[in-house]
Amino acid sequence: MKRERFLSVGLRLALAACALAALIPAAAEARNIKVGIVDTYSGPPAVFGNDALNGFKMAVDEINQKGVLGGKIEFVTRDDKFKVDIGLTMAKELVLKENVDLIVGTVNSGLAMAVSDAVAKKEKIPYFAWMSKSENITGKAGHRYVFSTTENTAMAGKTAASVLSKRPIKRIWVAGDDYEYGHALDESFTRYMKLMKPDVEFIGRTWWKVGEPDLVPYFTSIQAANPDLIHFCTGGASMANVLKTIKTTGIHQKIPIYIHTAIDYAVLKPLGTEAPEGVMGTMDYLFYYPEVESNRKFVKDYQARFNAPPGFPAFHAYTTAYLIAEGFRKAGKIDKEAFIDAVEGLTVDTPVGKVEMRACDHQAVYPMLFGTTKISKEFGAAVATDILTLRGAEVMPTCEEIKAARK
Amino acid sequence: MIANILRSREFILNLLVLLALALLPAVAGRFYIYILSVILVMGLLAMSLNLLAGHGGTYQFHHAAFYGVGAYTAALLITRTALPAWVGFAAGPVMAALAGLIIGGICVRLNKLYFGMLQISLGSLLWIIVLRWYGLTAGDDGIHGIPMPAFLSTSTGIYYFVLSVTTACLALMYLILKSPFGATLRAIRDNPQRCEAVGINVRRHQLAAIVIATFFAGAAGVLFVVLESSVYPDMLFWVLSLEIFIMCLLGGWFTFYGPMLGAAIMVALRTFVGSTTEYWTLILGVVLILLIFFLPEGLMGFDLRKLIRARRRRAYPSVPE
Amino acid sequence: METSVTIAGFISQLLVGLSRAMILFIVASGLSFILGVLRVPNVAHGSLYMIGAFVAHSVATAVGGSSGFWLALVAAPLAVALISLVAERLLFCHLYEREHLMLLLFTFALMLILGDLTKMTWGADYRSITAPPFLQGSVPVLGTALPRYNLFLLIIGPLVAVGLWLISTRTTFGKIARAAAVDREMVGAVGINVSWVFAMAFVLGCLLAGLGGALVAPTVSITLGMDHTIIIEAFLIVTIGGLGNIWGAMAGALIFGLTQSLGVLFLPQFAIVFPYLAVVCILSLKPTGLLKSVW
Repeated sequence: MKRERFLSVGLRLALAACALAALIPAAAEARNIKVGIVDTYSGPPAVFGNDALNGFKMAVDEINQKGVLGGKIEFVTRDDKFKVDIGLTMAKELVLKENVDLIVGTVNSGLAMAVSDAVAKKEKIPYFAWMSKSENITGKAGHRYVFSTTENTAMAGKTAASVLSKRPIKRIWVAGDDYEYGHALDESFTRYMKLMKPDVEFIGRTWWKVGEPDLVPYFTSIQAANPDLIHFCTGGASMANVLKTIKTTGIHQKIPIYIHTAIDYAVLKPLGTEAPEGVMGTMDYLFYYPEVESNRKFVKDYQARFNAPPGFPAFHAYTTAYLIAEGFRKAGKIDKEAFIDAVEGLTVDTPVGKVEMRACDHQAVYPMLFGTTKISKEFGAAVATDILTLRGAEVMPTCEEIKAARK
Repeated sequence: MIANILRSREFILNLLVLLALALLPAVAGRFYIYILSVILVMGLLAMSLNLLAGHGGTYQFHHAAFYGVGAYTAALLITRTALPAWVGFAAGPVMAALAGLIIGGICVRLNKLYFGMLQISLGSLLWIIVLRWYGLTAGDDGIHGIPMPAFLSTSTGIYYFVLSVTTACLALMYLILKSPFGATLRAIRDNPQRCEAVGINVRRHQLAAIVIATFFAGAAGVLFVVLESSVYPDMLFWVLSLEIFIMCLLGGWFTFYGPMLGAAIMVALRTFVGSTTEYWTLILGVVLILLIFFLPEGLMGFDLRKLIRARRRRAYPSVPE
Repeated sequence: METSVTIAGFISQLLVGLSRAMILFIVASGLSFILGVLRVPNVAHGSLYMIGAFVAHSVATAVGGSSGFWLALVAAPLAVALISLVAERLLFCHLYEREHLMLLLFTFALMLILGDLTKMTWGADYRSITAPPFLQGSVPVLGTALPRYNLFLLIIGPLVAVGLWLISTRTTFGKIARAAAVDREMVGAVGINVSWVFAMAFVLGCLLAGLGGALVAPTVSITLGMDHTIIIEAFLIVTIGGLGNIWGAMAGALIFGLTQSLGVLFLPQFAIVFPYLAVVCILSLKPTGLLKSVW
């Protein structure tokens, strides 16, 4: 399978790196930086885990051509199976036994928070959360050793509210998966929407269990209430179900719909031309937008190597790798505390331009995209059109808000 | 009875093992100490299940639910109230036993597979409540960063705490199995009709066994909280219940320490094989099938049976006739 | 925040609950059949359902168009039947005399293996197929729109039920299987090859899992982990219906589907709790299920 091949490539690279390191005694002072990756490589979320790993590998290969502080970046991966207990054991193994210099991962936000507290904070080791979108990671549960290189629910909510508060919308219905991520999306959009448009009304909320196969009954009751906007709080496998049900019930032709990550190509591609058009979504990365040289090159390299366009996890992981490399270069030594000081406020070049690691909360400042789905002949699937770009600083919670939340 | 136990060779052997375990942090790395703690917690959980499944012949299909109740009770009391951590630690097993009393009370009227299925549905109800009662349990994300008393801040401190609680629980379990109550339980497993006929209240004995076993499951849940400072709803999911069964199967149903050995194998597999291949469950599945075909009484069960035949007079207390 | 309950809403919810119950029934009836005849609590049934969905996806995308969908509907159950035949002849047939708990753990092991094999074969990506055009879209029913595909399921479900009933009451195989369920020594004693009957019964039950997977494929995203959610529901349905009783599985599936979909109308937050509560209520009142168990 594909992954196997990547693994063997990774293995050979690692071996080559080892052999090289052994050959050059002169570089005894310099050593390799060891990154431990705990992520999900089995079960449905493996889609994200594998995509991130690919992005990371690509960045590491680029970085290692030049090297960092005379050494290279090497990494080991561990599969958390999307389970908190296994993930914690793996993270502890990486830190206590493999002696990694820092850890990165993971899809499961419960696990990300557990690792952040039980491993990063306790063992004083930097941890980059690159996929868990819970705003709590760098919000109220944030601390010195945790960083986030993914957009989060707060940024999603604020982006959508900035755009939608200017439209004639008064009565909103919220519906979604009954889990932390769904509630967090709802909470943040509602908070910012009320702030930006005080007369907005949230007329109802519907929650279904994650993985609920049949959503039609929920949709019919929402349609009966005839709101001005439906905010679906969903993601992962459930997203396809929601989009399918939108299409079969035709609800999008009557009521505007907003869903965070609805314009993600990984979500829209499996639906092909069966995806509903006109659904509004937010995203922090699209491989076909913005059409700038750096992004084109990133996508081209990625596609040549992995036979698929990069998703947002690949972009996050790619950015993370550069933050790690630049952080150690700036620190001038392989030291955890010096590295953290160096990464705070650091800016690196990414496919979509300069990205800063905000010092006050350790949250990467990504520009956010707001678009609407439309079937594209070229892709044979729906893509985002009418894309608006919002500057990261505008759509993030302010440092004051973070300070207040951490109290 | 106790004097006899203290004089037995097994006791001295156990003492030596305990001594070795107590000295281990001096030589082993921190990670191995941590893994050993995980094994002890999972082993305690598996052994508490074996009290019912192996020794009592009860289809306790959703044992993990009680493990989760114990863990969540401790976690919620520590994070949501100002009570000292000790109260949470003590309340965990008690709440689990209470849940065991209620759920067990409903289930014991049924037999075998029906007992198991009713328990799965009641246990799943608990799981859903934990998952849905967002305001109380924080839903699917679980509760992380649960503050612990100072002496539980180092991995060695945690290890000694886990080791002493587990040892105490195992000693209690051993005494219970040795007691007339334990003998009655095994008799019920082997022939419930005959027990009924000689005037034993089968249901009441089974219920008592469930309460005892769920108490220990709750204790294991509290130890998990101590070890990881986290709780999450998957601790009450049915898959974990089957995994505990597998530990019992791996080590051996009808032996005392079998499930502990099974837990050690499972944890080792998932840690060391899991870190080299993503398909470790495939390996586990194959191992299980081989075991079911060729060693249905588990690794320890096999050897022990031979041993028993050789020394029938000093028959191990928990081996069936 | 309350959802207003209208007649139209009620009827639409009812129909949706019914169609959902049909999928549950098809999967649960296979499980129940195997439980009834072979006494195997087959946890791997959910994995076969998942494999059915994946095979349906592969066939439907390879052939394309609406003929792809129909072919998938035939090919997926057959592929699953083949897998189960191999598993039965190679492994299961040696274990029938074991205790239920052992069989349960054995099928759990099989579930672990099948899960990983599915991942090796199809990878971890989300997949999705579409129904043929005339099953897409929705028809207006009393003021609300009901998807055509759900109506299609409402026709298929009873057909499967009647078919299964005919097989088990009108064919020699069915009669032997039912007799073997009651007293397998007796059937063996009169000179019938029980082993063969068991294999066929197992394959038939698994075929239904595959059919369920193929039928559900157009309405959900096909992913690893589908097996975990369905199997517990199927087990509970079988239990409340009465182990091994086909019509019991139908009753259980209806209770499961309807309590949840109607629960959405009244208490959407806790809709998921209702089926489990129903199970608890039924088993507290009638411990061996609604209809007569064959055990």
